[in-house]
Amino acid sequence: MEKLENIILKLGSIDRRIIFLIIGLAVLIPLLRPVDLPIRPGPSSQQVYDAIDSIPDNSKVLISFDYGPSTRPEIHPMTLGVMRQLLDQNRGHKIYVTCLWPDGLYMAKDALKTINKEYTLEKYEDYVLLGFRPGYEAVIKGLENNLRAVYTVDADLTSIDDIPMMEGINSLEDFDFIFSGSAGYPGSLEWVLYGPTTVPLSSGTTSIQVNEVLPYVQSGQLKGILAGMPGAAEYEALVGKKGIATSGMAAQSYGHIVIILFIILGNLAYFIKERRERKY
Amino acid sequence: MLFSSLFGAWIAAFLTLGIFSYLFRDNPFYRIAEHVFVGVSAAYWAATFYWTQIYPNLFGRLFPIDGPFNNFWVVDKGHEFSIIYILPLILGIMMLLSVSKQFNWMARWGIAYTVGIAAGLKAFGYLKSNVIEQVASSALPIFDGNTPWFAISGNSIFNNLVIIIGTVSALLYFYFSKEQKGAFGKVTRLGIYFLMISFGASFGFAVMGRISLLIGRFNDLINFSTADYNYATIWIIIFIVIVLGFWSFKNPEKSEV
Repeated sequence: MEKLENIILKLGSIDRRIIFLIIGLAVLIPLLRPVDLPIRPGPSSQQVYDAIDSIPDNSKVLISFDYGPSTRPEIHPMTLGVMRQLLDQNRGHKIYVTCLWPDGLYMAKDALKTINKEYTLEKYEDYVLLGFRPGYEAVIKGLENNLRAVYTVDADLTSIDDIPMMEGINSLEDFDFIFSGSAGYPGSLEWVLYGPTTVPLSSGTTSIQVNEVLPYVQSGQLKGILAGMPGAAEYEALVGKKGIATSGMAAQSYGHIVIILFIILGNLAYFIKERRERKY
Repeated sequence: MLFSSLFGAWIAAFLTLGIFSYLFRDNPFYRIAEHVFVGVSAAYWAATFYWTQIYPNLFGRLFPIDGPFNNFWVVDKGHEFSIIYILPLILGIMMLLSVSKQFNWMARWGIAYTVGIAAGLKAFGYLKSNVIEQVASSALPIFDGNTPWFAISGNSIFNNLVIIIGTVSALLYFYFSKEQKGAFGKVTRLGIYFLMISFGASFGFAVMGRISLLIGRFNDLINFSTADYNYATIWIIIFIVIVLGFWSFKNPEKSEV
C-alpha cells in the first residue's frame, strides 16, 4: 500500500509539461488515426432536428452566423447540418444568412461555398447572404422592428429591393424559423432576449455556453440546442453526413479520459499528502 | 496552390505553434505570436467597424448622393439624408476626446448615452426572458394525474420536484437576512449542493470547449503538414524546437519560489 501511495504521490507531482504532452497526444493520435465511435443523438439535438423538420414547405429560414474561426470546429458542422437538412428535403425552403460577428461573414461564405458544391442552388432564389451588421443586440432589435432599415443591401452590395426572395420580408416576424450558430456574445442568449417570441428559434452553441443557454430550452424559448462538438456530431448523424465533428469526437473522448484520470490522480495525491502531514 | 494560401498557411502554422510553445515556458516565439495577435485583432476590429458601420451607416446617411453636403463629400450606400445622425457623430467625437486632458469630461456624455441605451435594452430583454419566462417555466405541476413518476429527461414528477427544490433552495442560499442554521441552514446547504453541481457542469463544458478548440488547431496543423503546403507544420516544428532548445540552454529557467 505504501509503495502504491508513493507512486501516486510521484505521479501527483509530475511536471505540468508532461501532462500537456500526454493530453496533446491523446487528442492528436485519434485525429491522425481516426477511430469510429458510435454516436447516438441526444434529446436536445433530436428536438432541433424535429423542430426544423416540422416547418411547412417553402419556409423562410434565417440562419445567423454568430461565430468566428476559433470556434469553427464546434459550430460550423451545425450550421452546415441545418442547411443540409433544409435542402435535403427538397421542400422549397429558402435560406437567409445574417452575421452578428464580423468574422461570421467569412464562416457564412465558407459554408455557402461548401453547400453550393453539394446542391444546385440559385443565389437570390434559394439563398441570400445578407452579411454582417455591427451593433450586437441592437441589430436583433432593429431586424425585429424593420429589417429593411438594417439591411438596405446584401453582402455583395445588391439592393434588397432587387432580390426576389426578399419580397415580403420586412421583419424577423416574417421568417418561419430562426437558427443561431453561436459562440458567445452576441449569440443565442441575445436572440432569446431580443428576438421575436412568435418565430420558433433554435441554436447551436459552444460547449462553454451550454449551461447558460439550457434553461431556455427547458422553458420552451428555444426549440432544443446543439451542445458543443457532441451536439454537432449528433446532428451530423441525424442529417446522415459525417464531417469534422464526428471525426473529432474520438479525440474529444480520449482527451476527456486523460483529463479525468489526471483529476483523480491529483486528488488522490492531495489526500495522501494531507494524511501523511497530519500524522507527523 | 496560390502563393497567398501557402503564405497564410505558413504564418498560421507558425503563430499556432508559437502560442503552443508557451506550454514549455514563456519564450520569444510566444511573445511574437501574442503581440501579433493583439495588434492584428485591434486593427481588424477597427477597420471592420469603420467600413461596415461608421462609413456606410453614419457617413452614408450624412453624406448621401442627394444630400445637402454632396459638394463636400459623397458616400453612396443607398441611404437617404438623415440629420438625426449628426448626434451619434458628435457623441462619437466626444468619446474620442477622452484622450485630451482639457476636454476629457466630454467623453462622459457619450458613455452616459451608451450605458443608458444598453441598460434600457437589457432591462426589457432580461425582464421578459429571464424573469417572467423563467419564473413561469419553474412553476411546474407536481401531481396532475398525467405526469409519469420518473423519466431520465423531460417531464416527470421526480424531475419537476428536483427543479422546484433546486430553485427554491439555491435562491434561499442568497437570503442573508436570516442566519443560515437549523432547518433553514439545512435547506441552504442543499442549495449549495445544487449550485456546486451546476458549477461542476459548467467546468465540464468549459473543458470540452477547450478540447474542441485544440482539435480545431490540430486539424489545421495536420492539414498544413501535407505536401500541398510544403510540409509547413513539420518544418516550423523543427525550427521552433531547435531555436527554443538553444534559447533555453542560454537562458535557464529560474526556479519558482
